[in-house]
Amino acid sequence: MARSIRPDMFSMNRRRMLARTAGAGLAAGAFGRGVFARDGIDVSRWSPEYIRTIADTIEVDTAAECAKVVPLDYEGRLTYWYVGENEASSEIEKEMERAFFAAFHDTYPNITIDKLNLGYNDMATKLRTAALGRAAPTVVRLMLLWGCEFAAKGQLMEFAPEDVGHSSDDFWPNAMKSCRWKGTNYGVPTNNETMALIWNADIFAEAGLPPEEPPATWDDLVAYSNQIKQKTGKNGYGLVARVNAGNTPYRFMPMAWAQGGGALDEAEPQPGYETIYIDNAGTKKAVQDCYDMYVRDKSVPVSALTNTNNENMDPFTSGNLAMMISHPSTYAAIVDRAKKATGADKAIAERVVESMRYGLIPEGAERRAVVFGGWNAHIFKPDYVDGEHDLDAARAFVAFMTGPEWSIKLAWAQSNPGNLRGFKTRWMKERLEQIKFLDVTTSMLPSGIPFPVIPESTEIMNVIVPDMLQNALTEKMTVDEACEDAARRVEELLGGI
Amino acid sequence: MTTQPMTAAPAQIEARRRGGGKRRRKPGTAWGPIGWVFLVLLVLFSLLPMVWMFFTSIKSQLTALQYPPEWYPHNPTLEEYHRLLSPSSEVGGEFLTFLWNSIYVSTATTVIGVAIAVPAAYAFSRFRFPGRKFLFFAVLFRNMFPAVVFLMPLFIMMRLMGLVNTQASLILTYLTFGLPLSIWLLKGFYDNIPIQLEQAARIDGATRFQAFMLVVMPLSAPGITATAIYSFITAWNEYVYALTFLNDDDKLTLPVGLQRFFSEYVTNWPGLMAASFIMSVPVVALFLVLQKYFVRALTEGAVKS
Amino acid sequence: MATAAPVNANRVDPRRYRELNVLQRMYRCRADYLYVLPSLGVMFLVIGYPIYYTVYLSFFNTPPSLSMDEKSFAGIENYSRILASSRFHEVTWNTTIWTFASTFFAFVLGFGAALVLNREFPGRAVTRGVLLVPFVISAVAASYVWRWIYHSDFGVLGALAVQMGFSDTPLNFLDSIDYALPSLIVVNVWKEFPFAMLLMLAGLQTVPDQLLRAATVDGASVWQRFWHVTVPHLKGVILITVLLLFVQNINHFTIPWVMTGGGPAGASDIWITQIYQIAFGRIRFGLASAYSVILFAVMIVIGYFYVKALAFGDERPNA
Repeated sequence: MARSIRPDMFSMNRRRMLARTAGAGLAAGAFGRGVFARDGIDVSRWSPEYIRTIADTIEVDTAAECAKVVPLDYEGRLTYWYVGENEASSEIEKEMERAFFAAFHDTYPNITIDKLNLGYNDMATKLRTAALGRAAPTVVRLMLLWGCEFAAKGQLMEFAPEDVGHSSDDFWPNAMKSCRWKGTNYGVPTNNETMALIWNADIFAEAGLPPEEPPATWDDLVAYSNQIKQKTGKNGYGLVARVNAGNTPYRFMPMAWAQGGGALDEAEPQPGYETIYIDNAGTKKAVQDCYDMYVRDKSVPVSALTNTNNENMDPFTSGNLAMMISHPSTYAAIVDRAKKATGADKAIAERVVESMRYGLIPEGAERRAVVFGGWNAHIFKPDYVDGEHDLDAARAFVAFMTGPEWSIKLAWAQSNPGNLRGFKTRWMKERLEQIKFLDVTTSMLPSGIPFPVIPESTEIMNVIVPDMLQNALTEKMTVDEACEDAARRVEELLGGI
Repeated sequence: MTTQPMTAAPAQIEARRRGGGKRRRKPGTAWGPIGWVFLVLLVLFSLLPMVWMFFTSIKSQLTALQYPPEWYPHNPTLEEYHRLLSPSSEVGGEFLTFLWNSIYVSTATTVIGVAIAVPAAYAFSRFRFPGRKFLFFAVLFRNMFPAVVFLMPLFIMMRLMGLVNTQASLILTYLTFGLPLSIWLLKGFYDNIPIQLEQAARIDGATRFQAFMLVVMPLSAPGITATAIYSFITAWNEYVYALTFLNDDDKLTLPVGLQRFFSEYVTNWPGLMAASFIMSVPVVALFLVLQKYFVRALTEGAVKS
Repeated sequence: MATAAPVNANRVDPRRYRELNVLQRMYRCRADYLYVLPSLGVMFLVIGYPIYYTVYLSFFNTPPSLSMDEKSFAGIENYSRILASSRFHEVTWNTTIWTFASTFFAFVLGFGAALVLNREFPGRAVTRGVLLVPFVISAVAASYVWRWIYHSDFGVLGALAVQMGFSDTPLNFLDSIDYALPSLIVVNVWKEFPFAMLLMLAGLQTVPDQLLRAATVDGASVWQRFWHVTVPHLKGVILITVLLLFVQNINHFTIPWVMTGGGPAGASDIWITQIYQIAFGRIRFGLASAYSVILFAVMIVIGYFYVKALAFGDERPNA
């Protein structure tokens, strides 16, 4: 798995890297098929160049593939909940979503979908209540941190890629790991995402920093941020520490993992999710870095404690923030806005688009890390579904959605296809041409670490970690105290209280 | 029954309402410059956030995010409004569906709410059945319980009743928000309507129900208007239950629709502000037109003793 | 209305009616119940079951990893855990400040507004309408607008302070332990002072002119008239207004949740946001239920006074 991309881009600790390669091999071995996917994708050779070479090497006939799972004239109905396009999405994302439902309708004209497009912040709460009241949808697409809780409660059907005509080897081992609970598979990955560091080269130049080079380590990032604030008065790094916002752990955990910290041992090759890392030296170092930027240097937005990354997007777009950790979709969103801008705005926006750069997330003493994010499709058990539970309709839909064609098209501007065969289609080539920096974010995939696959993850990541940061950043506690307080809470949590 | 008491009654009530025909016009001595300054500050305090909301809504996405901010929009654009309100665009179509759903749910809540609050308030005011006081207290107690706490059990109950994903579940829930205040206010109102009017009607041969419908109802119009506005506004603005109970894009109400302006990564601020603004217009207009009834109803129903 | 006899009383001879036992009386009045049945039916339906369920669940341990069917009986463990936690004390303190400060300022502003509006002047109706706007608009929308206004880096308030030379850097409202809660209280006061204004305005219209004139003739100053005539006359309305505000505030969820989520570091966490967080952020419905029951208990005490105040008109002799 984690073979170096290019020595200059990736200087991962060699011992660690080998260990993780072995770990991945083991994990994949558990599925019984090794690391090579069906169409000969070698995830161990992952690099921007490799991605380019495999793009547009296969032809896919989605309808034909789906027909093998469920006949195309099948008549049925299903309910589907997802976090879909909204008013803040870029045009391309909206278009793809429309096209997806239209294409499904063309393929399976007799299957009716009752769909519900939910906000990112509403999905988990709403679904939880719905499942408890036994009124869940048949199919749901969930961020990978969320699924485990429903699986642990026994609400999701046992369900693997094989059930919809794919092979488990068609998916990243880490993605498969994220939809397993106690040895049972309960979902199929739709897409995987890793973020990257995005920076404004103009501001770097203004601050006397090399405009084309991202900070190599987190220590560098802290120093860069400070230098930018000193020289330009603009904020350096877009720190995020709001409670109950997924954005916070997505940006903090990579810092902690990089220094050998974590919440539990999720960054280890064979995590058991029983050892607490949240108060170890690595995590403390990461919290200290945040503290240094927020309190000591004041080089990050003051609003970090109430911000999600939404609020960083905006200043970045207007050229007031130099660096942030962000998705590939940021590029699409900013280009979109620049297009819509008028008058003097247009010049500013176009300037920002031009000076946008993507690079790898900095590394720490231990490794380079990023959250292995993504989404999985799940099917609820009939008991928990309101009304009809049409399993074949659900299978047809998931087969269609997680096939190479739509797993890449639905991930167009944001992430990567869950189905690795998607990388080999001509659409990947189109994306590489259309979406700048896609190769960079995609090449972060091997550094991806999934959040602990335990139902308690939600509380750890959305409540305990942000609380820890806020305690330290408001100086309510010292960094040590904040970490130790968090450790106590994690311990209590794992103790089943 | 003759028309005599019917025509006399409103005049009599009107006289009472006007405090014996003398509306107080106090001399301006009680508040001088301090009062004016206070009033101006208060108006600014109330209004400026709304103004800022409107200004943001007519800026472009980039301008909205400038720092220091553009104090007033140099290049105002109605683009967001146009998008939201044109039925042909996809966003517009969706937004108008939400708007329609909100109107439907709020109106139904209001109508049903009035229909059941009026007889209850009347009974609490006029009749002397056992347990009356206890039941009246029980109604008022509703406001003690925060909505959020009931979210999950109420959902389970709605599911048992087969009401999940119907707008009926919302209407049923919203009814209970408005009812305590409605019943309380209307009861106070009825307490102030002389019982002799109904007795006269009864003597003229009207049934108890007829007396209520023909004599009391028309007199309580301001009270009914006031409680109706209150119910409408509460229903119009509710978010948490609407989000939890409805599972269908076509059934959602406006407050839930507002979430469409956020995503995991970005927010469309001008769009959000425009949508909030549009959402506020109907209730603000309603209130502005009907506010005098509201104050009158409170005077008559709630505070007069 | 003290002299009016109940409408239904003349159906039965009052003496005979008094001899009946409760059930017989209830039977006699069965038609009366039809009037209140729809309202009460809806109320009991929507409140009865949730209260039962919440109290029941508060005695169970419901870890996020187990389905509801597998919950285990925990006795009063949830309660003792909450009462012993230091977070509970912090949150209770915040709730107290939030509730009292919001109620106090909303009342003072509302009363002040009512006093200045209780005069004829050109544009009075429009002014009153303008002041009512915050009350009418959605709390969610209002919270977003205010969050945007307060924003510690890009907020218009901070920018204004810099522009006018009060400060070199934008002000920190919502990201500061010390200012987050007061900032939220300002928003809450903004949102609900019009409600107090309406009630007080209605109350002021019932103060008899003769009393005020008599006081003026006696040489009372403006302040004395206000304090010795107006206020005593409005005692009932004041009590109702304050209680309604109080109950509304203690139950308020939207503003803190949308604006700060209870942060930073719990500085603006109040009971309701904490309950929501425990239930939906930490997925402990049992613990959240116990928290809710504690809240119910507090509310019942307040509710006793609330109901007494709301129903004070009911204590008149005709009852």
